[in-house]
Amino acid sequence: MRTIDMHTHLVPQCLWRTVDAGQPWYGLRAESGPGANTLVREGHHIHMPGAKMRFTPEQRLQDMDTEGTDVQVVSIHTPLFGYELEPAQGLQLARDVNDEIASMTRQWPQRFAGLATLPVQEVSAAITELERAVTTLGLKGAELGTVANQGLSWDEPHFLPLFKAAESMGAVLFFHPHPVDNLALARTDKYGISNSIGVPVEDALLVATLIFGGIFDACPALKVCIAHGGGPACFGMGRMDRGWQVRSEARLHIQKPPSTYQRHLYYDCVTNSEAALRFLIDQVGVDRVVLGSDWPFVSWDPSPGGWVQNLSSLSAAEKAKILWQNLEELLGL
Amino acid sequence: MRSIDIHAHLTPQCFWRATTDNHDWHGLRREQDAQGHAYAVIGTQRQQLPPRAVWTPEQRLADMDSLGVDIHVVSPYSGFYNYHLESRIAIATSRDSNDEIRDMISQWPQRFAGLATLPMQDVPAAIAELERVMVQHGFKGAMIGDQINGRTLDDPQFLPFWKAAEQLGAMILFHQGGHTVVSPRIGRYHLPNSVGNLADRTITFATLVMGGVMDACPDLKICLSHGGGYTCYGIGRIDRNWHTRPDIRQLIPQPPSAYLRRFYYDCIVYTEASLRYLIDTVGVDRVVFGTDWPYDMAFDWPVSWILSLDSLTQDEKEAILWKNLERLLGL
Repeated sequence: MRTIDMHTHLVPQCLWRTVDAGQPWYGLRAESGPGANTLVREGHHIHMPGAKMRFTPEQRLQDMDTEGTDVQVVSIHTPLFGYELEPAQGLQLARDVNDEIASMTRQWPQRFAGLATLPVQEVSAAITELERAVTTLGLKGAELGTVANQGLSWDEPHFLPLFKAAESMGAVLFFHPHPVDNLALARTDKYGISNSIGVPVEDALLVATLIFGGIFDACPALKVCIAHGGGPACFGMGRMDRGWQVRSEARLHIQKPPSTYQRHLYYDCVTNSEAALRFLIDQVGVDRVVLGSDWPFVSWDPSPGGWVQNLSSLSAAEKAKILWQNLEELLGL
Repeated sequence: MRSIDIHAHLTPQCFWRATTDNHDWHGLRREQDAQGHAYAVIGTQRQQLPPRAVWTPEQRLADMDSLGVDIHVVSPYSGFYNYHLESRIAIATSRDSNDEIRDMISQWPQRFAGLATLPMQDVPAAIAELERVMVQHGFKGAMIGDQINGRTLDDPQFLPFWKAAEQLGAMILFHQGGHTVVSPRIGRYHLPNSVGNLADRTITFATLVMGGVMDACPDLKICLSHGGGYTCYGIGRIDRNWHTRPDIRQLIPQPPSAYLRRFYYDCIVYTEASLRYLIDTVGVDRVVFGTDWPYDMAFDWPVSWILSLDSLTQDEKEAILWKNLERLLGL
């Protein structure tokens, strides 16, 4: 049985080479000098704990062999997007990262597929870079944050050309929140809540924003995948449907209840429990659920694919779809 | 078969009376737009009031009869928490509102029970008001917000309140007032409510548990409205955070999921699949009937909805509709 993992993070080697040489990488510096795993930019800290964050592609492949993962779909660690940079700097960051991801997919085409990062602070540049990434570099699409630059939501009209472009290229957009610096911080910075609750709420809010924003009516063939199973969007969809029924502002862009759009999206299986994954499958359909591991941040017992294989509430056919068939078709692997 | 509704709000008649002819109720005013919609105006905030908010107790009883609801455990309108105002104003509006609920209970003891609103920005005053309504007027507890002027309820300043609530046997119903964590990000499509309410309730669960309130007050009774938000669905990740972070693990002796059954949850989750999931996660003895009367987000036919659900047994339906609250609140 093949195993294709949609949700794997990369801290690019070009970043480590630069900061370990004592140079800033797009404003990021190693906090305590070369070898450090904490980077700083203008007072913002990015912690990247664990040796795997520094793995070379060869080390990564060994880890995949140990896990039994055939293909990793690689995307950068979201705190490194650089959406706050000047547009020209943001574009250069994206080109550097995307070139490195492409070098991995070119050298090991059977083992790696890639998602680009895009300089969304200038939509025209983001479209140009997506086109380069997909047509020239052979990447499968792009990873985007759950919130764009300057706190903007993706339903802002000026982002629509980006979605149109992705749709016309057949590019997959994989949305992933910032692991710490997200909307839960407005309430509390205690107990790791911004990661344990803020992250899935960001995912759910993104699902809601794309659906209510009419993105799937404007771009019916757009391919979108949400990290962490879309958070609790599927569980809370009933309340969104009720809001749509009773509030005219919720019906501004969509003529059907939001729940009817759930099956337009893909969701990874990072749901943290079998019951939650079973619920997700039952709500969105097994054709829409794909393997994701959140590599290297989550340790799976015994491995990402092995965890799915061992679930008693899923049929063999469902496991095959989640482990590889859905992504093989979605990404053309 | 009875039905007891723990999630039914009151916009007090004293507000409507006081604000006629442009007068004010402790500084709160009322406006009407060209379509005839009423608004409560508190400083620069303007909140629309639904048509049924003006109804008298008699009109409310007629609506309850029509819906098949026997008892409203009446709670205040969250728009009148007034936590951000001077505490003397919140004390005054809380007393007025609670006194009106007291009068409803005394006139129709078979149809109404009461949850107070409290001036939570002034913890001693909140405790005094909770004690007044519980001891003198037979209230069942109080409804409070997920945050008090930016502080979550695990803040040490609130511990005396929790101790008092525990000692009084008060049921504390959590319900957002105004903005949620979604509001600063996006105000469109009703998402601050339809996503934000659920996010806020989940954060409240996590802060009370990991902040040690549930360990400090083992007999505390808390009900999380809107089904506890995303708590039951998202508990796996909250547990993982506890398991993988030593600094969080040392806060509480058991994983957060071990505290799920310390809370009660109303049934306002809108879909049968989600209600079934809630029941299976927290236990049917922890799920209680709520409707969100009189707001537009309320169920249209709440009793009929519960009765119609194929995946619930008759025992489960009765537990949710009345038996759990009858036992919990002594009704």
